[in-house]
Amino acid sequence: MAGLTTSFGSGAMSNSMDDIADFARAILVIGSNTTEQHPVFGTMLRRAVRRRGVQLVVADPRRIDLVDFAVLHLQQKPGTDIALVNGLMNIVLEKGWEDRTFIAGRTEGFEDFRETVQRYPPDKVAEITGVPVEQLYRAAEILALQKPMAVIWAMGITQHIVGVHNVMNLANLQMLLGNMGLPGGGVNPLRGQNNVQGACDMGGLPNVYPAYQVVTNPESRRKFETAWGVPLPDKVGLTATEMIPGVLQDKIHALYILGEDPATSDPDSGHVRKCLDGVDFLVLQEIFPSETSQFADVLLPGVTFAEKEGTFTNTERRVQLVRKAIEPLGQAHPDWQIITDLANLMLAAGERQPVDGTHAGWQYQTPANILSEICALTPSYAGISYARLEKGERLQWPVPNSDHPGTPILHINKFARGVGKFAPLEDIPPAEIPDDDYPMLLSTGRVLYHWHGGSMTRRSAGLSAIYNQALVEVNPEDANRLGLKNQDRLRVTSRRGAIEAEAWITDRVPLGVVYANFHFPDSSANELTIAALDPIAKIPEYKVCAVRVELVQSPES
Amino acid sequence: MSVNLTVDQKKIQAQAGQTILQAARENYIDIPTLCFHKDLSPTGNCRICMVEVAGQRLLQAACVTPITEGMQVETRSPRVVQSRKLNLELMLANHPQDCLTCDVSGECELQDLAYDYKVNVPAWGAKGTRYLPDSDPNPFIRVDMNRCILCRRCVLACAEIQGRDVWGVAQRGFEEQIVAGAGTTLLEARCESCGQCVAYCPTGALSNKLNYGLARAHQVRKVMTTCAYCGVGCQFDLLVKGNRVIGVSSNPGAPVNGMALCVKGRYGYDYIHHPDRVLTPQVRRYLLEGRQKSRTGSEWDWVKVDWQVALQLTAGKLASTRSSFGADSIGVLTSAKCTNEENYLMNKFARQVIGTNNIDHCARL
Amino acid sequence: MTNRRIIYKPIPDAIRELVHKHGGDRSDVLEILRDLDRQQKLNPESVTDTARALGLPAAELFGVATFYSMLSLAPRKNVIRVCDGPVCSETKAAALRQALEAQAGGAWSIERSSCLGLCDRAPAVLVGEQPAGPVQVETVPQLLQGWRGDLPDYSQARQGEVRVMLANAGKLEPDSIDSALANGAYAGLSKALASTPEAVLGLVEASGLQGRGGAGFSVGRKWRFVAQAKGDQKYILCNADESEPLIFKDRLLIDIDPHQVLEGMAIGGYACGASEGYIYIRGEYAAQARRLERAIAQAEQKGWLGSNIQGTPFTFNIHVHLGAGAYICGEETALIESLEGKRGEPRLRPPFPPSRGLHGCPTAVNNLESFAVVRHILNKGTDWWKALSSYAVPGTKLYMVLGKVRRPGLFEAPFGLTLRQIIEEFGGGMADGSSFHFALTGGAAGTLVDQSLLDVPIDYGSSARGISIGAGGFLVCDQTVAPVSLLRELMHFFAVESCGKCTPCRVGTWRAREILGHMLAGDGRPGDVAELRALSDNLLLASFCGLGQSVSVPLNSALAHFADEFQSYEHG
Repeated sequence: MAGLTTSFGSGAMSNSMDDIADFARAILVIGSNTTEQHPVFGTMLRRAVRRRGVQLVVADPRRIDLVDFAVLHLQQKPGTDIALVNGLMNIVLEKGWEDRTFIAGRTEGFEDFRETVQRYPPDKVAEITGVPVEQLYRAAEILALQKPMAVIWAMGITQHIVGVHNVMNLANLQMLLGNMGLPGGGVNPLRGQNNVQGACDMGGLPNVYPAYQVVTNPESRRKFETAWGVPLPDKVGLTATEMIPGVLQDKIHALYILGEDPATSDPDSGHVRKCLDGVDFLVLQEIFPSETSQFADVLLPGVTFAEKEGTFTNTERRVQLVRKAIEPLGQAHPDWQIITDLANLMLAAGERQPVDGTHAGWQYQTPANILSEICALTPSYAGISYARLEKGERLQWPVPNSDHPGTPILHINKFARGVGKFAPLEDIPPAEIPDDDYPMLLSTGRVLYHWHGGSMTRRSAGLSAIYNQALVEVNPEDANRLGLKNQDRLRVTSRRGAIEAEAWITDRVPLGVVYANFHFPDSSANELTIAALDPIAKIPEYKVCAVRVELVQSPES
Repeated sequence: MSVNLTVDQKKIQAQAGQTILQAARENYIDIPTLCFHKDLSPTGNCRICMVEVAGQRLLQAACVTPITEGMQVETRSPRVVQSRKLNLELMLANHPQDCLTCDVSGECELQDLAYDYKVNVPAWGAKGTRYLPDSDPNPFIRVDMNRCILCRRCVLACAEIQGRDVWGVAQRGFEEQIVAGAGTTLLEARCESCGQCVAYCPTGALSNKLNYGLARAHQVRKVMTTCAYCGVGCQFDLLVKGNRVIGVSSNPGAPVNGMALCVKGRYGYDYIHHPDRVLTPQVRRYLLEGRQKSRTGSEWDWVKVDWQVALQLTAGKLASTRSSFGADSIGVLTSAKCTNEENYLMNKFARQVIGTNNIDHCARL
Repeated sequence: MTNRRIIYKPIPDAIRELVHKHGGDRSDVLEILRDLDRQQKLNPESVTDTARALGLPAAELFGVATFYSMLSLAPRKNVIRVCDGPVCSETKAAALRQALEAQAGGAWSIERSSCLGLCDRAPAVLVGEQPAGPVQVETVPQLLQGWRGDLPDYSQARQGEVRVMLANAGKLEPDSIDSALANGAYAGLSKALASTPEAVLGLVEASGLQGRGGAGFSVGRKWRFVAQAKGDQKYILCNADESEPLIFKDRLLIDIDPHQVLEGMAIGGYACGASEGYIYIRGEYAAQARRLERAIAQAEQKGWLGSNIQGTPFTFNIHVHLGAGAYICGEETALIESLEGKRGEPRLRPPFPPSRGLHGCPTAVNNLESFAVVRHILNKGTDWWKALSSYAVPGTKLYMVLGKVRRPGLFEAPFGLTLRQIIEEFGGGMADGSSFHFALTGGAAGTLVDQSLLDVPIDYGSSARGISIGAGGFLVCDQTVAPVSLLRELMHFFAVESCGKCTPCRVGTWRAREILGHMLAGDGRPGDVAELRALSDNLLLASFCGLGQSVSVPLNSALAHFADEFQSYEHG
């Protein structure tokens, strides 16, 4: 979310799902397979198209399901999003469709930006992206003239080495068209996990405390030192994608992992396994044995969402209650309790003792106690309480005090950083592109029936009945050329590894591209993916790498 | 603009453009319905909501008849009651009398109305197995068209809520039936298994396979909570019997999603009780017995221990790592699946207890 | 969505071409499905492919394909449809069907069909698209070799007939516009174009012309609603779905002079401000559909249809849309649904078609006979029209007298005839050896009356007195026919033709047929008659559309006139 922070000063989804569904007149979905990854929001988009005739433009290398509901499908080549968006903005400027009042009143950096965009005329963009010039014009016309227009994206934008630039360019587009701070508009990154927004909000990041208070800012640091009663480190920590390789660089000696499975979900799994194998001490708090648990020294049984209380923050910054339905199974403990117990043990061991902190202790009886502490230290959550949530109040942060109704739309009248910042951005090709040895392009993601590393969904009988093994999507023409039929076994090989899986022949993927997922450890796409990171956000380029595809054997043989 | 009308001798006011049903319900006058659902387009098919309107020769369907100024409506006149009763009989004539074993007994709208109107189930009609019971191989959705009353709520739910058009109406007249696609299975008809049709079905024609036979409606405790899959933040009711989650059902009051859920949210809950669950703390034997780390042989075996042992070993190991290599030699990965409270604690744990900013989670992945 | 059961399959070229040939629009769905059926390629797979090519859900197209009785998704051969209508039933159609099944051999599929609209050729069949009749068991071999029977001759008026619409019967060559023009065609349109739409509206209103479908709603008023409704696009729809048993007047009107109908529609278009017209004609009338298409082409050539008719700014195009077997499509909103390529299910009303009809635009739907009259009113004026009879309802109408009369057939006469007149004066009296028992008047959804109503003058208002005119069909029965038996035939028809949308009609008609069947089989039980009454009341009070409501008309009238007889079927 570094991109939006640079442009606007705040990195979250600016609008709410219902206001997009109810008020947008046009929607650009770029790099989000919404109906499979955020299915219920996907249905809201479908309804918006059916009931209100919203003009939906889908920009995606694949012919995803949402395309059936779109007026226009821009099928850009993977990794060419900057060029595509620059091309659209070039046309907007050519036609004079930009919102001059908005640009003059609420932004800076427009001239440099314009200069860059002008170097992306439609014919050049068509060549880079593979999107025909007429389609570029049509898309620009729809997106510029139907106001408000909302932009929606997900990992298809961020999981590139230029992910942050991609995001900033979408921010550019919305500033150019004046679609910020109004219902039905905005920049709307859809957050993947149920509580990825909350994990970020709560300081689960190496550079910020809760509510994005920066660790390198002395004032913020002092605030938390006062609260927690200990001196705090002043330099930014390591990201997950740095920590794990850090093991082999002798930087990391112990890992405490809560409910994650990096051996499955991180790129270049082979290398990840080597790192996990090399760590001195790995403690894993989980509900299931996983690929990662094979490397763990201690396994602590946490619980599922049904066995605990707390809150989740959804993609639109809405804080919602999680209610305990059943008592924890077996010896398992709610995760908050395990962390608390471990913290108390470590603090008791003595080496690092808090002194006089306002919130130094770990005496939590219930999650509500923890939320009170969060509210005290997290300005955007200050007004949230279990009592308000129980009443059914719609609380989207920032909720600065207990009388505040929450903020469904950000950036009304003013950006968090004051004015919005236009950023001139250039097209940069992906880190690895097809060549003679690895002639096809692999893109990765998830499917409707499974979730991430699949540890939950593979254990759901019905979901597995429908989708019980990894399918690799292959275009019919490619399949023909490769001698592949539906349900043939194929082997996909990259410079980092190889997997075997079943071929699913479909025109969802364009010529020259295969699409795979990482739900099944035996044939996980992450054996193949490249650990090339965006230099700013450290997000891996899951969406593009070069592979070779071949037939393994026909089912008949 | 408001309109004055009289319903069952009670003078009420309602908004112009409303139907008789909307006006009546807003004024706490109940008119029974079957094919009508507030989330779906009204169709007027089932003819249960018929009412008498002064000046009209025929009964009018309250769900689709707009109110007019001065309208006089009778919702329970003898003609109305008799017509409703007969229409229920006509439906029940083609409905198996299997409430004893039907999974939705106790939350079936047809059953409720049959009770309310003291309907005698006719001896005639198409009984038993006009269609194959449990006719579709979908792993979640149990299809028994013998119980279908052709209200078409499933068709509308699929089209209007899910935007999918899997269900359709085929044949006509007495042979009319609800089919998936061109008479295929649900999955072949591109069903996403979201279960919206099940949620909107007023009878047991569409029910849930995963909890079929596990509990009667009155044996279930419902707990409203937030889904733990994606970031949309749908809410629903967990259905609990004993200390077991046996299902999920839509809660119409869910703020983000209403009745809508996806296949994972509605049906992907059975991992909760999966036998693979880690239910005891465990540590590697070498660690428990205080030897050097070894990945070979029984040294790497898991040994089940109690919490105190597991946590003490962990705390000791983390403390000694910090002593040897510094706080920044420890990395903490928190979880986007866990609660805000837990994430806050992990952040506090890394920074306050360990003393490092090496904390992250899978936001990038 | 990713699902390995969804196998990638490009849409076959043949389907793409077929869809393209018909314009690729959803309203052409029935044409496409009929073509597939004709090629014996109509099956779930081709339906799915066609749906994809049209951008429609497979379930929806499958719903359409299975709605219409002439389409079959099961494999079959050349089809001979044997009429199941009341007249054909009385003339031993069942025996004919058995004979056909026995003799036709593997090259043919023999099917039952609701009334084919060939009551004047009973017992009748449809061989492919070709009508044939009367066919006796003895003439089956000839039928299979191409013989189609003799056409009734309507060139001679009966005693007492007043011919307006039938004036040209036998006088002109229906497939030649020159012949039609020589006999006065388009003179009415000419007059209309020379005056204002308002004047035409005024004239039609003043004529008192009532719609000939059966309800008798003022044609002029309906047109005025459409003329006044907001909308750039308006439509004139000609209802030639004529699927009610006993009714075949529209077929004859087309065969006598198709231009008479086209001209009426064009006049309607001019009056209402509509530039497009559709003729929705029942699928069994394929031959008449082609005749209309030929006539339209010729009229366009001569400048009587199409753009700038006769050099005026008025443009009017007529399209022929063939149904595929569904009585319900005679209900105007079901007709519109069908015309839009959907299942022929009635719509919620309001809105009514004059404000929101075809494709949501203001639409006038009129019976074909209503259009056939219009030319003459324009031509000769309202005084002439009103002077055609001394009865309160002006003008003439077509009557079909059938059953046990000496001269069954169709004739044209003023309103206010009594059943006795229809039998004695126009039908030539009861057939030899027959005496009057009861009659079904109007059509299948008409009244079943005994001799007590023989002398009531009949018009659109007479149903209040217990005898309806409906679309003008009169089936006269003697003592060999039991009311219970005829009623069972009718309930069979309604049950087979019920669209299934609403409960009272979908199950009620089926149950009524079942009760009557039991009665006829000697298994009647106490309470049967009461149950029939309750079903009938419920059909009237609670059915979704007029067709469902109208099922109560024969039921209630039969139960009223023959209460004791019905009661006598209750045993034990």
